[in-house]
Amino acid sequence: MKATKVLVVDDSKLLHRMFEMMLRGFPLVHAFDGREALDRLAEHKDVELILLDINMPRMNGLEFLTAVKAHPEFARIPVVIITTEGTEDDTERGMQAGAAAYVKKPFRNEELLSVISRLTASPAA
Amino acid sequence: MAPPEQLPSRIGSALDELRAALTRAAELTRELEGRPESAADLKSRLADVESDRQELSAKLAEYEHQVGRLMNLYVATYQLHATLDPGEVQATIAEIAVNLLGAERFVLLFRKGGKNEGEGDCEIAFSEGMEENASGAYHDGIYTGGDPAVDATLADGILRIGPLEGSEAMACVPLTVQGTTVGALVILKLFDHKALLRPEDRDLLDLIAAHAASALFAARVYSNTDRKLKTLESLVALVRRQ
Repeated sequence: MKATKVLVVDDSKLLHRMFEMMLRGFPLVHAFDGREALDRLAEHKDVELILLDINMPRMNGLEFLTAVKAHPEFARIPVVIITTEGTEDDTERGMQAGAAAYVKKPFRNEELLSVISRLTASPAA
Repeated sequence: MAPPEQLPSRIGSALDELRAALTRAAELTRELEGRPESAADLKSRLADVESDRQELSAKLAEYEHQVGRLMNLYVATYQLHATLDPGEVQATIAEIAVNLLGAERFVLLFRKGGKNEGEGDCEIAFSEGMEENASGAYHDGIYTGGDPAVDATLADGILRIGPLEGSEAMACVPLTVQGTTVGALVILKLFDHKALLRPEDRDLLDLIAAHAASALFAARVYSNTDRKLKTLESLVALVRRQ
């Protein structure tokens, strides 16, 4: 069975490294801001899941999410927001923008893996 | 109808069959009588299996938690030593504080050049979320002292985790190089969705205490050496041109 390709969008190198460790079973595509993420999506049309930070330079996570959900080709891709913005309002804003799940940083690895397993329906790493 | 001479043998055979049937019936009766005990036995074994399953499930959860904790430590250490750019090392310390510890407001303090333990002010090498706290002990890029927990950590190099009496710090992490405290990471506030530092955070704070200063110190030394080397190279090139 083909492994789910995941696009990781975060401006933290530390978190990119962490996702590499945590999601060993998944091919990853990396981007450090929203604009770069849109470019990566255009190159990797087989991306099936997006892990998205909110606070990023150039184009933030919510702007990127809005662009993705407005795009006929990418709108179907589930997006997991992973951010330090943890208020109810933040969560609601993210979900209204079309996120499939919302995980607050700092997160426990098993918490995120459980969300990913649910959304991909394939065993997490 | 069978001839009369065959009857005795048929009767004998029928009797044998009857005896076998009776034996089998007796066995079945015993089996039936034993069944209530078997059901109780099965129930007991099922309870044991369920208990084992719960124990294994708890162990698996604990194992996954430990793996996550070790992964965080590995990634933090890896990233701290992955570069010789002082700015990137500082950014990594900040990323650990924000993304792994959940710090919303913190400062990274370094002793001003030439000062020893227990002496003088510290420069604020990096800060996050301090815009609303420009006054007080931390202002104009300098920590002038006054927070008892921070001062104590700078003096004795001991990690302190709050609540700390008389201090606004939630944690004071000494930054040490070869046994000398050269600064501290002071966590002043966690994100609202993270009420307290968890036991596993202690490992990360220990890691910062042991690795952050040496990584930053090495990066600064390399950066200074590299700058001097480049200056010398350009001087040599200038002399050669003349």
